[in-house]
Amino acid sequence: MAARLSIEVPFPADAGREDAALLRTQDLTVRFGGLAALNNVNFEVRRGEIRAIIGPNGAGKSTFFNCLTGVLRPLSGRILFQDEDITGLPSNRISQKGIARSYQITNILPSATTFENVRIAAQSRRHGWSLLTHHRAYRDIIEKAEAVLEAVGLQGKADEIAANLSHGEQRNLEIAIALATEPQLLCLDEPTAGMSAAETHETMALVRRIAKDLTILIVEHDMQVVMELAHRITVFHYGAILAEGTPAEIQRNPRVLEVYLKT
Amino acid sequence: MTARRRIGYWMGFSVVLALLIAAPLVLPAFWRSFLTEILIWGLLAMSSDLLIGYTGMVSFGHSAFFGLGIYGAAAALLWTSPPNLWMAFLFGLVAAAAVAAFVAYFSTRLRDIYFAITTLIFSQIFYVIIFTWTELTGGENGLTFRRPALAVPGLFSVPFTSETLHWFVLAVVTLSYLVLRRITRSPFGMVLQSIRENEARTRAIGYPVERYKIVAVMLSGLFAGLAGVLYAIQNRFAAPDFVFFLVSGEVVIFNVMGGIGTLVGPIVGAAFFLLLREGFSRFFTEYYLIPVGLIFIAMVIFMPQGLLGFMRRSLNR
Repeated sequence: MAARLSIEVPFPADAGREDAALLRTQDLTVRFGGLAALNNVNFEVRRGEIRAIIGPNGAGKSTFFNCLTGVLRPLSGRILFQDEDITGLPSNRISQKGIARSYQITNILPSATTFENVRIAAQSRRHGWSLLTHHRAYRDIIEKAEAVLEAVGLQGKADEIAANLSHGEQRNLEIAIALATEPQLLCLDEPTAGMSAAETHETMALVRRIAKDLTILIVEHDMQVVMELAHRITVFHYGAILAEGTPAEIQRNPRVLEVYLKT
Repeated sequence: MTARRRIGYWMGFSVVLALLIAAPLVLPAFWRSFLTEILIWGLLAMSSDLLIGYTGMVSFGHSAFFGLGIYGAAAALLWTSPPNLWMAFLFGLVAAAAVAAFVAYFSTRLRDIYFAITTLIFSQIFYVIIFTWTELTGGENGLTFRRPALAVPGLFSVPFTSETLHWFVLAVVTLSYLVLRRITRSPFGMVLQSIRENEARTRAIGYPVERYKIVAVMLSGLFAGLAGVLYAIQNRFAAPDFVFFLVSGEVVIFNVMGGIGTLVGPIVGAAFFLLLREGFSRFFTEYYLIPVGLIFIAMVIFMPQGLLGFMRRSLNR
């Protein structure tokens, strides 16, 4: 692996620092019974990167996300976010640190409107404990939610009940909810799952747009999406990292080819 | 809410309020105090709706908060001479809030049925304490005390008549309704509804869900305690029966009958249930619970959204 990063994102605070990782894991291990879902994973992602995580089913991709976002507590190992140990923190604390996540299986407030889904997420950063003021009185939250809806192209569906949105729209609402929490690291778990070709194309454009301001980890099965979007790719296999590199390197990697041809 | 709906809402609110203000002037004495009692039970039911309807937590512990409101008020009314109305509020609310804080801290770690059972057990613990601590609580016989005067220190002091008591209770209940309504629409209230809809997601977007639940239980307990204070003032006695879990069960029934998550619904449910019970107990004497139970079952099957939800749907048709 030649270059550590395929694009150089200017980031003044990190200029000249060798160790500019936004997120690092050290020997992260998770076991379900006797099965090692993650086995000594040492992972690192830099600020500004779009990193794809691929691997066959059961390789540990979603388990990895669950650890990063506080849903699962690892058996051993550490997770460092901006050089701060966040291992084992509950998911609300991790969200407040700046890691957001969209889910593989759509996970929204089904009977609330699209707008409220995003508004409540934006409100998680401020005014959450206000008791006697109407929630509509907080213009800053309303404006934030409107801006996010516009960014994902759902502004026309703001007053729709979320359960009535199309599958593709619900997937984008997932991303909108995550974005509204103003994260620095966004973990997308198969954002294009079940989408039509046209919808996939739009979502890819969306991910590319939002990647200007934040770091993205993306789990994805669609190889075309992965190859076009990612700066670098990490391949998981049986709970361990099999390979890591630029899309071109991964496509040529014989071990990766072997795993993918077998499955 | 659109402008038209808002106008409609406030017009309805004003009409109902006007009727409730005028009611004691036309109703005979029995029904006058019956209506006052409905308002008090309605406040208790409304307080529990904050948990059942808005946060998705079914509490079977509201008898404890209500009962401690009664006993707190009783303590103040027995210790102050002449009995002081505002001390009754202070003691009742502090007692209810203390119990609510205790119950909230332990029970909110659990969810669903486990939460319900824990609140039920806590309320039974308080029942047993009150039932057995005879020197302090009068045990099984309860406590009787005098009704305080409606007084503002240094300004005026007049004894309550059944009319002024009704208006006083109406004022407290109306104000509580408006405050609770505002709470359910505040950022805090929106978080509670988000927890009801999807607890894991609410946590994932950064809300400390447990803390929100604790505050919700405490607020709910505070308003239940307020209902207890009003009940003590109206009925001038405290009894362990009010802390027994049957009261909590009735509160849940008020909510289900009236329509959860509406605040007004539980009051309607309380009125409906109490009127049914009153009516049937005159005809069926001790078997009155059989027809009440049958009607409840029928309502759960045929109007699962409660009276208010049913009325709303037939109005929209």
